[in-house]
Amino acid sequence: MLYDIRQVTQYSYASPVPFARQVLRLLPVERAGQRVIAADLSITPSPTERHDGFDFFGNRITTVAFAFPHEELKLETRARVLVEKATRPDPAATPPWEHIRRIAVSETDLGPRSPVHFLFASRLIAIDNAIGAYVAKSFPAGRPIFEAAFDLTKRIKADFNYDPEATDVKTLPADAFAKRAGVCQDFAHVMIAGLRTLGLPAAYVSGFLRTEPPPGRPRLEGADATHAWVAVWCGRGAGWIGLDPTNGVVADEDHVVLALGRDYVDAAPADGVIVTSGDHTLDVAVDVIPVEG
Amino acid sequence: MVARTETPRRGRAAADRALRLVAHYRPLPGVADEFIDKNGRIRPHWMRFVETMAALGPGEVEHRFELADRHLADSGVVFRVYGAENGDERPWPLSHVPFLIEPNEWRHLEAGLIQRAKLLDTILGDVYDEGKLAADGALPAAIIAGSPEFLRPLVGSKPVGGHHLRIYAVDVGRGPDGRWWVISDRTQAPSGAGYALENRIALSRALPDVYRSFNVERLAGFFQDFRSGLNALNRHEETRVALLTPGPLNETYFEHAYLARYLGFVLVEGEDLTVRDDTVYMRTISGLKRADVLLRRLDADFADPLELNPASRLGVPGLAGAIRQRNVAIANALGSGIIEARAMMGFIPGLAERILGEKLILPNVATWWCGQTLERDHVLAEFDRMVIAPALGATVPGILERGPVLGGDLEPEEKEKLIAAIARRGSDFVGQEVVKLSTTPVWRGTGDSAHLEPRPSILRLYVARSADGWTVMPGGFCRISDRPDARAMTLQQGGASADVWVMSDRPVAETTLLASPDKVALRRVTSTLPSRAAENLFWLGRYVERTEAALRIIRAIAGRLVDEGGDGAAVTARLVAILIASGAASTNDGPMQPAPLALSALTDRKAFNTVPRLAEASRRAASVIRDRLSPDAWRAVADLEILMQAPLESRTGSDMLERANEALRLIAAFSGLAQENMVRHNGWRFLELGRRIDRGLAVARATRYCGLSGQPAELDALLELADSQITYRIRYVMEAARMPVVDLVLLDAGNPRALAFQADRIRQSLADLPAHAPAGILGAADRLATRLSTELGTADVADLDHDTIFGYETALMRISDEIALAYFTHRRATDPTEAGD
Repeated sequence: MLYDIRQVTQYSYASPVPFARQVLRLLPVERAGQRVIAADLSITPSPTERHDGFDFFGNRITTVAFAFPHEELKLETRARVLVEKATRPDPAATPPWEHIRRIAVSETDLGPRSPVHFLFASRLIAIDNAIGAYVAKSFPAGRPIFEAAFDLTKRIKADFNYDPEATDVKTLPADAFAKRAGVCQDFAHVMIAGLRTLGLPAAYVSGFLRTEPPPGRPRLEGADATHAWVAVWCGRGAGWIGLDPTNGVVADEDHVVLALGRDYVDAAPADGVIVTSGDHTLDVAVDVIPVEG
Repeated sequence: MVARTETPRRGRAAADRALRLVAHYRPLPGVADEFIDKNGRIRPHWMRFVETMAALGPGEVEHRFELADRHLADSGVVFRVYGAENGDERPWPLSHVPFLIEPNEWRHLEAGLIQRAKLLDTILGDVYDEGKLAADGALPAAIIAGSPEFLRPLVGSKPVGGHHLRIYAVDVGRGPDGRWWVISDRTQAPSGAGYALENRIALSRALPDVYRSFNVERLAGFFQDFRSGLNALNRHEETRVALLTPGPLNETYFEHAYLARYLGFVLVEGEDLTVRDDTVYMRTISGLKRADVLLRRLDADFADPLELNPASRLGVPGLAGAIRQRNVAIANALGSGIIEARAMMGFIPGLAERILGEKLILPNVATWWCGQTLERDHVLAEFDRMVIAPALGATVPGILERGPVLGGDLEPEEKEKLIAAIARRGSDFVGQEVVKLSTTPVWRGTGDSAHLEPRPSILRLYVARSADGWTVMPGGFCRISDRPDARAMTLQQGGASADVWVMSDRPVAETTLLASPDKVALRRVTSTLPSRAAENLFWLGRYVERTEAALRIIRAIAGRLVDEGGDGAAVTARLVAILIASGAASTNDGPMQPAPLALSALTDRKAFNTVPRLAEASRRAASVIRDRLSPDAWRAVADLEILMQAPLESRTGSDMLERANEALRLIAAFSGLAQENMVRHNGWRFLELGRRIDRGLAVARATRYCGLSGQPAELDALLELADSQITYRIRYVMEAARMPVVDLVLLDAGNPRALAFQADRIRQSLADLPAHAPAGILGAADRLATRLSTELGTADVADLDHDTIFGYETALMRISDEIALAYFTHRRATDPTEAGD
């Protein structure tokens, strides 16, 4: 499926910001199953310094500095991305999850796609025995990894309340888990925390959903903003499989990956050091439109 | 004849004392002992030490120990204890018996340390570049990826100078078999080298004869090599090498300041540095200056909030980018801390053979990483005899909250929980063999009850990268446990430290340990005064002067309380008004009598701007720039705060008088040291500016209150506050009269207490600072100071009224604001874009 993506992020600061230095992850990553045909990020006002590059995980990053006072910042992404329909393995035919646990930790690859990076606690995701116990119910001995992980995805969708008021961007997985509520970021974090507690490699994925669903299918939660889901490593053969606990589905043609990492911090669309005394408001608009033809 | 009988008697007494010292020394079972060999005999070098000490005689030994303790207290060696009230600092306990190492043994340790430094540096080079060790299975990728110190933004970067490690510390201990074992590696930002130096100075000065007779290897050469290694990386030389500290709240801040001073480096905090176009600059009073080399004492994760820990407020945004572009050398390289993961220990012996083709000269503690099936099974089988420890970080949350545990010590349910966690996530755990560390003697008791006792000990030794290789500090830092269990030893949990004496088989050359400042700064780079340091010097000057002014007013009030009678009441009321106007006292809680008001200004630790609070502010400003103050000057400021915190015996006027006088003496000591001992560089000028501004404000204010009515008693008080009575009496043998008094305290540019004098000095100091305005044009502060100085030089004393004098005060405050604006650039979010000179 070919998409045209437009994302506009608008910051308004209560008082002028005299200096800011930021890292932006607003250009889609190129990866297996996803080709970026064209992508552009325009920044208003024009920054004093701008460097475009890649981070460790292969995400496209733009580092900017503003050395003059500004009250607004507008970041506009335009991209055309081809998402291929993946051939997923038969869940029942994937290896038992204990096997995945054993081989993941023995991987010798240190590259960005290696499961070793996604086995341990990260900044926002601690190893959490309470979440581990919840997750373990989907992982009886010998159950195939994909089957078990998909079961977990559906359980989170069923057990958790989608409630933007319940959490904020800094909420830790343990809190969201205790409330059984939150938004896509929280559900992804909880699922990752539980999988890692069992010794399984799980990554955080940020991205977009197509704005209008295909005919006959319901509109997915998170379609009008940036979305987040989980990728689980299912062995060298099956590789990384995307699972969306917010919607209880396998991430597929409707999911466009923006960036990925160990948790939200690695994939955050904007991060940085802003010298300011006041508050700010943030407005994000996303359109993901299939290209006809 | 007397001499002939005296000598043997003294010899016999010394022999008796030596015997008493060692008579009850019993090594602990199952551990090696430094003092006594396995046949129960005192080792010869230790016997010689005991005899030398015994020969000093009773009383003398205690006196020597006291000297050492006093040196440490005077130099301000403190260890900051986290969590204690007010961020308490406590003195560093020194065990007065050094740890002795024989020459042969030292050569073995030295070879082992150099081998290990070389090995670890090579491992780091691979991990952050090619990753071959992981790809070949020699080092599990999961250990690297799982370490919180594996800093992904640095992957693929090569450090300037080619080495990740520049300073490396290793904890070693002697096992029961008598061999030395590596207990842990410190590659992040090793601490303690400065303390080792201080211990050495303290002990060698207290026991100079003993020290000389043991041919102890000197430490200075090691630091010179380390310094020249870093200086060699400084390519632009716009600034000196900078020591990056997390700041005064860090537990080892004393050491940061001390080392910066000793090595001739600039002490900076994160906000002193800024990154422009992937290049690091220091914010100095002369604008942005390129910083090429950083010695960091800041943990790497905090070094760059942009690409590393976003919560860090201590770092430099953009630093990682500058490192990747190879525009800055940083020691140790960010990410070097990955070596500290305990799991690494399990692979280092194999890596030595693979990388160096050699066996380890010094074995490390046997370690099994539970991320591997065979190793995990071994650990579970030997569980009770093993130390179970976090594999990658300091703790395993929810399981090993307080770090390592001894398997056999656990309650059954704890054990079960831990074993389940190892089965689930073995990669988080290691098993390590238990090493029982050797004991070394400590001195206990005094006089006839003085004796030696064994205590577990561990050595921290240091390796540095010099310009042409690895060099080992011949000495180090010995930590001695309070308790027989040597495994729970950290500086924060009690214990003491001892100097480490590496004995040479030849006499060692005398080298001065503390090189004089002109020896250190072979090149003169005058403009590397970070603007933050300038600001703290400025405020130190202002606070100290403000404290002095408040004390003089309190003293004047207290003197009049003691000296009852006369027309004191009206004058006292004027003095109280000045005290209130200066901010040191307030009547917000209703009107108060002069006595309680002055008492509150002198002793209240809660209200604003009282003397104790001003003394505290002075000390706080001084603590940030401790590397720029002499130890004596620092001591005076620290003592002032301590004095003002102490409760006052009684509340009588004479007690207040006494306290105020004592405090003024300390301030005079500080002023004298600053005047006489500080080099007239830019740093001194900021201290001077701060003092002159506040002194000018105080004298102008006092004149407004006491100089305008013409009452002789008020004029007397004014002369007292301005410390100008004697000059007045000599000059005018007459009762105080308005015009001559006001002339003396405001306009007489020859009176160092007069306003005109302050204005002249301010103008001069500003003229000597690097200019910010284009050549030939005065900056705003210079302009104001010149105008004030000229006005005072041409004013007619008859014209001076309240408003004119108040105008002078306003001018001083504007000068202060303009100085801040021109020089304290770290306060501003933006810097001037040009790095002007």
